[in-house]
Amino acid sequence: MAEQVWAGTTYGNEWMHKWLIRMLRYIDVRILYLFLAVFIIPVCLVVNPSRGIAYRYFRRRIGYGRLKSAWKTYVNHCLFGQVVVDKFAMYAGKKFKIEIEGYDKFIELTKHQEGFVQLSAHIGNYEIAGYTLVCRDKRMNALVFAGEKASVMRNRDKMFAGTNINMIAIQPDMSHLFEIDQALQDGEIVSMPADRINGSPKFLEHDFLGAKAKFPLGPFSVATIRALDVLTVNVLKTSATGYKIYVTPLPYDKSATRQEQIRQLSKAYVAELEKRVKQYPEQWYNYFEFWQEG
Amino acid sequence: MEQLIKDLKLQIKNALNLEELSLEEFDENAPLFGDEGIGLDSIDILEIIVLLEKEYGIRLANPKEGKAIFQSVKTIAEYVQANRKK
Repeated sequence: MAEQVWAGTTYGNEWMHKWLIRMLRYIDVRILYLFLAVFIIPVCLVVNPSRGIAYRYFRRRIGYGRLKSAWKTYVNHCLFGQVVVDKFAMYAGKKFKIEIEGYDKFIELTKHQEGFVQLSAHIGNYEIAGYTLVCRDKRMNALVFAGEKASVMRNRDKMFAGTNINMIAIQPDMSHLFEIDQALQDGEIVSMPADRINGSPKFLEHDFLGAKAKFPLGPFSVATIRALDVLTVNVLKTSATGYKIYVTPLPYDKSATRQEQIRQLSKAYVAELEKRVKQYPEQWYNYFEFWQEG
Repeated sequence: MEQLIKDLKLQIKNALNLEELSLEEFDENAPLFGDEGIGLDSIDILEIIVLLEKEYGIRLANPKEGKAIFQSVKTIAEYVQANRKK
């Protein structure tokens, strides 16, 4: 079985990113979607091993037939291309229609003095949420992959300038942990993905879409270490220019033992993720062998 | 100092659930991280940070100090002795 490794970086070089942003200032995203669907995705499907991974996901985990799984594999790759285009469209200043379910839950937690943790996953397009779920009085700290392309980081910095968002890059010397802890002690929000094992190899095992899957221990450990409130935020694409953000509180018994707290919290996260993946099966973008099966 | 090292070993063992590690085997000079030592990782650091705060009232102000402090139980003990508030 392949290792759970993902480069975590946006495809393409700086030059390509710059031109994509320039182009997106003038053209409709749908033109690029069409170009991707006709010329780029078919080539990607031939050369990229993600094809087999996505196909097996639709076949075994979602339960589609052979033909439908093959078609959905194509749709899944087209959608992945679209969310990357959307990300650059956002850098280019394009606006998307955003609908939020559970916004009151987010607002409620921002009123508390304590910090809280926001867990995401690699489905849909989480980066869109960063620009929408922002609080004036509580700084949002987003954990990001340190090896991300400089152009992407620069564009993120530009987008986040003037907002209350801070990037914490995952560092090999573990200094990001101190930043996370400091932010939470200061009553801020820390946002991080909880579906990929990155850094610490420690994991939790859960039944997910009918088979055992590994989830990183870190995010759940960080949240429970100071018995903080936790939300999960999933952002799913609903149309060419629309997204829906689902904000869901993840309950756990804060008086239970740490191990039990971690178990309850991770179970609630996985249940919510499963619900959203079943709702939007084509927007699953973990292109590695996620499940422990033959 | 000897007592502090003993206390820290016990507190770290309990906080990190290191059931298989006996206190006698827990060498205060052994590196805490990496394959050659106790084998702790980044998540365990956070647990130790909170432990130091709860037990000794220490808040690490400078993240850059972290690497030097968390080299071994002995380096943690030295830091605790110099900075403890309780």
